[in-house]
Amino acid sequence: MSTLLEVSGVSVTFDGFKAINNLSFAIGEPEMRAVIGPNGAGKTTFMDIVTGKTRPDEGRVLWGEKSVSLLGMSEAQIARAGIGRKFQRPTVFEDQTVFDNLMVALKKDRSPFAVLLFRANAGDNARIEELANEIGLSDHLQTPAGILSHGQKQWLEIGMLLAQEPRLLLVDEPAAGMSGPERDHTTALLREVAKTRAVVVVEHDMDFVRKLDCKVSVLHEGSVLAEGSLDHVTSNQKVIEVYLGR
Amino acid sequence: MRDLFKQNRSVPVVLTILVVFVTTITILSEGAGSGAISTSLVKTLGMTLCLCIVALAMDMVWGYGGILSLGHMAFFALGGYMIGMWLMVARTSDVVAASLSQGVLPPTSEELNAAIAVQIFGVVGGDSFPWMWALSHNLPAQLALVVLVPGSLALVFGWLAFRSRVTGVYLSILTQAMTLALSLYLFQNDTGLRGNNGLSGLQNIPGTEGIAQSLLSVWLLWASALALALAYVFAAWIMGGKFGNVIRGIRDDEARVRFLGYPVESYKLFVFTVSAVIAGIAGALYYPQAGIINPDELAPIASIYLAVWVAIGGRGRLYGAVIGAAAVSLLSTWFTGGRAPDINLGLFTIQWVDWWTVLLGLGFVMVTLFAPRGLGGLIDLFSARASK
Repeated sequence: MSTLLEVSGVSVTFDGFKAINNLSFAIGEPEMRAVIGPNGAGKTTFMDIVTGKTRPDEGRVLWGEKSVSLLGMSEAQIARAGIGRKFQRPTVFEDQTVFDNLMVALKKDRSPFAVLLFRANAGDNARIEELANEIGLSDHLQTPAGILSHGQKQWLEIGMLLAQEPRLLLVDEPAAGMSGPERDHTTALLREVAKTRAVVVVEHDMDFVRKLDCKVSVLHEGSVLAEGSLDHVTSNQKVIEVYLGR
Repeated sequence: MRDLFKQNRSVPVVLTILVVFVTTITILSEGAGSGAISTSLVKTLGMTLCLCIVALAMDMVWGYGGILSLGHMAFFALGGYMIGMWLMVARTSDVVAASLSQGVLPPTSEELNAAIAVQIFGVVGGDSFPWMWALSHNLPAQLALVVLVPGSLALVFGWLAFRSRVTGVYLSILTQAMTLALSLYLFQNDTGLRGNNGLSGLQNIPGTEGIAQSLLSVWLLWASALALALAYVFAAWIMGGKFGNVIRGIRDDEARVRFLGYPVESYKLFVFTVSAVIAGIAGALYYPQAGIINPDELAPIASIYLAVWVAIGGRGRLYGAVIGAAAVSLLSTWFTGGRAPDINLGLFTIQWVDWWTVLLGLGFVMVTLFAPRGLGGLIDLFSARASK
């Protein structure tokens, strides 16, 4: 397992508030990692930095075998380099069909002229069928994404993420608002994906994290407070204070 | 082509309606038919088709791309100016050559050139060709400028605006500023485009002296209809495929498209520039029918009207733009042309020339409130019911 993403000594300040404070984080490939932490711990800001939405004041973000810095790259370039992101609120293109959503996400040349002349071939269609099968939406390929249920939208978004074929998936609260069986399906999906790719799951829900059965990083006030197995970190005195104390 | 028809069922319908429409008008026209329709009405209809084209361009950029440009009539007018320059020079040189040939000695080409310049620029106190008229005697060059000038303005403006991630209302204000600045620039006499006089006599197309305006108007109607048909098929092709899905995705959630790895700015720039080029071509067909163009055509209000047409017609559907532009601009012509009967309320008389804008505003509010998908949305409703 080699290091895929390495974040070191990163800090970012918003109007005097230190959202991320000397944060260091590394993940290999393949690996599953859960990031937990109370509200305001900097989980979303961390994802914003990795995906290029927020520029840090200091620190390094290095990617891949060649350790390319992600800091000078645009969101789109980072996405093309192989980092996919799933937002907390399901964001799919609501007035387009499930098929079209997946087709837009499918890993292909993204330049305007290539897309203009793009024609889906049998392989592309088969790949979409396969993805739809994986996320349980085979019967809904021609359904507008806007009328899917909340859980289905979450899956569609995960499906779009997979269609991008990223090496690293950043997944923000994938189980939010899901029912029991839906959660189990999501857990299975993520664990399957993590066999070949790096997956970072940001989550509040301890039960869900326990089911993921992976290494956990606890964020607090913009830096990593503890790291290790779930049992290890939950027995950590500082973590208990942060979560339960005060 | 067959795919296109299948994907966008409105394409064959619109093309059929266009053919039936121009054929009917031709049969009824003065120039080529029974004469039931006046030449000025044929011209108005031809111009309306050109407005439908620029509305299509607006729908591509706003209805599909979510970029509310309030400056697209600037591109339209620039297209008109570019063709207008050639029309004026070619026409004037014919006239001047004819009058100078009465003299004892045939004029030298310098004399001829100077006389043409005085004839064109005399009204603004000029006697030589400004630099921007360098290619005006050359029809292919000036036709290329019809595409290149609006296209490069849109490219530069769009590059600056989109690169800085200017969106929403700020972008709309910037585009208004662009069209206003351009209009004020053209109003100046020393800009070189005849200031507030604009370019006139554009209905006299060189090389067609033997042909009556009544017949010429029918030709231009056909040309406009052909251009609209091509623009419609082109827009349907762009928006019907994956490119259209990406563009609609940018409209609905720009950040999401960015995180999928698409260079959002390039897409916006592409649509903005392509639509500006289409607007320029529409303008180049419009002004020979209108006969005159002046800087008022670039006033900010013109582009706002364009947005209103598309909103009333229903944005995000190509036929909506066409219906909106046709319906509203024809109604506007009828009301402001003094044909609509005044309504006498005793104390007060409603004169439509003044009150039309109130009616239009009211209509706009009504559509926004009760039919947010516009007139085109009503068609969707009926066609959905019919197919059930």
